[in-house]
Amino acid sequence: MNEWEIAAAALGCALIPCIVVCLLAPAPHGLLAMEIAGVLTTTILMLLAEGFNRQPFVDLAVVLAPMSLVGSLMFARLMERAP
Amino acid sequence: MSWRTIAATVLLIAGVGIELLAVLGLCALRDVYDRLHYVGLVGYGALLVSVAIVVHSSFSLIGDKALFIGVFFVVSGPVLAHVTIRSLLTRERGDWRAQIVDAADEEAS
Repeated sequence: MNEWEIAAAALGCALIPCIVVCLLAPAPHGLLAMEIAGVLTTTILMLLAEGFNRQPFVDLAVVLAPMSLVGSLMFARLMERAP
Repeated sequence: MSWRTIAATVLLIAGVGIELLAVLGLCALRDVYDRLHYVGLVGYGALLVSVAIVVHSSFSLIGDKALFIGVFFVVSGPVLAHVTIRSLLTRERGDWRAQIVDAADEEAS
């Protein structure tokens, strides 16, 4: 394992608390955890692309970055309505 | 070990450290407005990681796209935080400007 793969593994472990907050905390907290998890996942894909020297992984990250932003904006917009 | 490898490793550790700090803040703090601070912070971690990739492999196909992603997250972080806090205020009070309008009325009277 090189340093890029180790960093990707560390960030992969950091995804677990975000998933726990998404599942167990109230919806506004879950939205924040989802926003952070989107950035983490994109960074993991960048690190894997560099670690394995595989360019397609970074293409996935390029697609995921705007998609996570748009998804978070949509969830935030829908969350304006109180339950 | 070249200076590029050392610089890339330092930037990588700093970037991953910032992202882990953001996740730690998400877990440690309890209030949603406190947790919101870390949404903006985590983008800077992604930027440092992307700069580490550029330092390591120069402006290759991976480096260019990684730098684009890092800048994108830094730019979109404050926008996302603003939209989220506006959504939360609207959810709580019905109108996100409610507190600002009340404060302005108090100053006028």
